[in-house]
Amino acid sequence: MDAALSGLMALADINLLFLIVAATLGGVLVGALPGLNATTGVALLLPFTITMEPIPAIAILTTIYCAATFAGAITAILINTPGTSASATTCLDGYPLAQRGEAGKALGMAAVSSTIGGIVSVVCLMAAAPLMARAAYNFAPPEYFALTVFGLSMLATIGDGSPIKNILSGAFGVLVATVGVDLLTSIERFTFGMNELSEGIPFVPVMIGVFGISELLIQADNLHVERKQVIMKAIKLPSRADYKKVWRTILRSSGIGTFIGILPAEGATVASMIGYNEAKRWSKTPEEFGKGSLEGIAGSEAANNSATGGAMVPTLALGIPGSPTAAVILAGLMVHGLRPGPTMFTEQADFAFAIFWSMMLVNVLFFFIGLFGAKLFARVTLIPIQILWPIVFIFSIVGAYALEQSMIDVLIAVGSGILGFFMRRYGFSVVPMAIGLILGGMLETRLGQSMVMLDEQWWLMFTRPLALFFFVLTALALFGPLVWGLMFKQRSPVESTGE
Amino acid sequence: MGGHTHLQEGNPVQPAMDKSSKRRANISRYAVPAGIIVFCAWAYWLSTQFERVPPILKRGMQPEDFPQLVIGLIIMLSVYLIFRDDSKAPEPLTKMVQMTIGLLIGFLLIAEIDLFLGLGLFAVSLTALWGERRAWALILVGIIAPVAVFFMFDGIFEVRFPRGLLTNLWYE
Repeated sequence: MDAALSGLMALADINLLFLIVAATLGGVLVGALPGLNATTGVALLLPFTITMEPIPAIAILTTIYCAATFAGAITAILINTPGTSASATTCLDGYPLAQRGEAGKALGMAAVSSTIGGIVSVVCLMAAAPLMARAAYNFAPPEYFALTVFGLSMLATIGDGSPIKNILSGAFGVLVATVGVDLLTSIERFTFGMNELSEGIPFVPVMIGVFGISELLIQADNLHVERKQVIMKAIKLPSRADYKKVWRTILRSSGIGTFIGILPAEGATVASMIGYNEAKRWSKTPEEFGKGSLEGIAGSEAANNSATGGAMVPTLALGIPGSPTAAVILAGLMVHGLRPGPTMFTEQADFAFAIFWSMMLVNVLFFFIGLFGAKLFARVTLIPIQILWPIVFIFSIVGAYALEQSMIDVLIAVGSGILGFFMRRYGFSVVPMAIGLILGGMLETRLGQSMVMLDEQWWLMFTRPLALFFFVLTALALFGPLVWGLMFKQRSPVESTGE
Repeated sequence: MGGHTHLQEGNPVQPAMDKSSKRRANISRYAVPAGIIVFCAWAYWLSTQFERVPPILKRGMQPEDFPQLVIGLIIMLSVYLIFRDDSKAPEPLTKMVQMTIGLLIGFLLIAEIDLFLGLGLFAVSLTALWGERRAWALILVGIIAPVAVFFMFDGIFEVRFPRGLLTNLWYE
């Protein structure tokens, strides 16, 4: 309780409040700009926060995360292009409403649902993260190792690509994390005698490369895409009758989004899809979905915004990122010398609660900024990418350089960008690679500690109930879809003939 | 997402794959996993060159154990991909992308002379390459943006940039 109050008091700092308001504006801008999303925005902004104190630095990153996730809805509704992938389902009903001249109503519903979803998830975060941390307080290295393996196994389901390619990409990230001096033996690995690599491949330039520069190359193929804005009448908030119709959907999707967010690696995109589907399944008027249903917008937006708070639960409590953007925030925590995990809620509880309260504040702020600035932010989407992306590149490179003030980091950022582009081209998501790079060091350290603890008899890990539980979850995450797939394949002919 | 998806209607006869798409499919199916395996073989060989710690100082694992474990997993998954990958081959690399990659490499070379010279030239070339010809836009991305970013980082964040042709004008 004391920590919650001190965290709240930290927000009384006028400079911090100003930074949060500015970051909310920046986040909404990032979410609205073509090709930029929450993950890219946070990765690009990370170097700017290095010289700051931890609370403002991480508050800015989480603010960008929340605001950009919401802002995806603005472009989804007004130009039928989701600013972030998490708003893809918002297009389905938002754009038809906008075409009917009800863009204001659609934006109003998106803002209300996002705010409620975001607040519900932050309340859950405040309650669940310390509990989860307390549960994890007695974890020994084998349990942590098993938990990290489980977190990495969840990468299989990221995006819509092949699970095998996702795991491969994650394993590649873990391999890259082994570059540098081995922490257990102090022996150099894969450094080629370069001093710059002895501390390993730095996270920040890699993040900037794979999320920012690779996107620049993707945009090189999107030059012909035309963006036309729908004319928006005055903002009109949803009526009481509209609220009556959607309040259940908002609450349901908020719960779904928070739960999906808590699962390691699963983020707002999956949450919005499930939230939208469930909204349709429970709706009394499912036939309206896809034609401009307010329930559809509420289902999607409440879910994707509540996933942001959910994703921060395992990130802060266990050090396992709950979403791709949370992975970049985790990198930010590490860069600032903070150790996410159970001790965060005993040794740095004030910091944790300051972050929670700042996220709460953002959810209220973007309601006003997003709603009343929507018209302006929608115009931002019309900035030509020929001007936008060269400027983004300048920021990316200077950001990559600024952290260690080393030209090697510039080389790493550009190299990672080109590699990331080719990975994406051949169906390998870059998100697992980034998460693998962040978690790789922890994975190896925990394995090494477990081997010492278990006298090099690694199989004894399976005799520890909690570690075994996580290994079973890992097996389910990896092979569950395969088993379901086989079952589905066997059943589908029956279904098709039966129907 | 914003675009329309056109479903091709019932054409039972698949058009024969032309040479180019067949080559791309083969690259995607065989060359990429094979390339990964070759890379892993090289990384494995490198890992065998690591120093080893004497048994008395060993803390659970030798330095090469973990990388070799991960390399083994990557090789296994790559082999699986060769036999089971059914993902589509990507579209051919467009000229625009190829030239953008060329500009990136050019940037790295010029950045050795001066980081901000490289940034300015890259930004203005990219803007022009992508079809923007208006003078104000070229000046904005090629001169104003790099100069503004330089002074912002130098003044506010106290970042010292590497000495070069242009940065020396400020630092000296």
